[in-house]
Amino acid sequence: MKSNKKASSEEQLRLIEQRLVEIIANFGYLKGRSAKTSEVIAYIYIRQEVTQQLLRELTGYSLGTVSAVLQDVEKLGVVSKQPIPDARGYVYRLAGTPSQVLSRSMADFQGYLSEISGFLGEVEAKLSKPSLSKKQGYSSLRRFLDEINVLIPAYQQVLQKFQTMRLDSRQERVGAANE
Amino acid sequence: MNSAIEFDPEIRQIEQEIVEFFAEKASEYTGRHPIVSMVMSYFYIRRSLTQRDLRKLTGFSAGAISKAVRQLVDMNVITREVIPGTHTHIYKMETLPFRSPSYFLQTEQTLETVHKELGEIKESLDAHSDEMRSLEGYKKVYAIVTHLLKQISSVPMFMALIEEELDKFIKQEKRKR
Repeated sequence: MKSNKKASSEEQLRLIEQRLVEIIANFGYLKGRSAKTSEVIAYIYIRQEVTQQLLRELTGYSLGTVSAVLQDVEKLGVVSKQPIPDARGYVYRLAGTPSQVLSRSMADFQGYLSEISGFLGEVEAKLSKPSLSKKQGYSSLRRFLDEINVLIPAYQQVLQKFQTMRLDSRQERVGAANE
Repeated sequence: MNSAIEFDPEIRQIEQEIVEFFAEKASEYTGRHPIVSMVMSYFYIRRSLTQRDLRKLTGFSAGAISKAVRQLVDMNVITREVIPGTHTHIYKMETLPFRSPSYFLQTEQTLETVHKELGEIKESLDAHSDEMRSLEGYKKVYAIVTHLLKQISSVPMFMALIEEELDKFIKQEKRKR
């Protein structure tokens, strides 16, 4: 009797987890990730530590699919991979707590922005050839560049402002603790 | 019907470099699927495209293109219209998604619904805590639910702040010019 009850609460928890995975995976989908990648990342967020075998059981995907998706997830910096001691295979761990993963992506964003602005400089140089300005398609490229050339510095400024804000609030907290 | 204007070869070359750069960076940075990323980048420049145009520009199969545009519509970065007098759809990007980073908040999965659903999940975890607490995974599931509930309530405010700052900056820039 008792073990039946345990089994049913286990099932119930598993159902709750599945609903949670759907919710988190849908956010991934709205970022443009594939459905499979989104689902695997959702399980990693919740479980924090997974193996290929476990993901296979949870998702029903083949080992080949799971392994390919994990390679992408590793490149994204969401997980780190370590060999399992005294056994074959690897354990994949969430790289930090979920909120750490988020704040790290803020820092990456700055690098991303400066890469974009460097690249846009190169494009401008190529497009500045006078003969190009009358060519078919030039105005489409021009429009894109004019818009993005304003947006990138705007983002850089906004990001800087938020970081100063965060720093200020941290210093305030330290100050309050000292008093 | 071909709505994509043929670009001059030299311009087309530069376009391809731009598209490849943005597609690759976005995939690297956000984990966006490479095909979705590539198709999205073409919209930055072309703004209005049919699936056929996209096939021609990217070389991807009809199936891959159809899946990618569906996802981009779901993501709220492009809209779909019927070209009058035909059965062909045309997909449009009105503004660059960077311009209004909260675009994804207006998607079908509204934060409000998610918040409500997470609240229900938390309630049911609380209601069964006596039986479930000892189960492996209970704490982890509980921690994520609470974390998400907290995050989700602050996202719209954070996004509004970003957009306000972007607007200010862009207006300043326009005045300078």
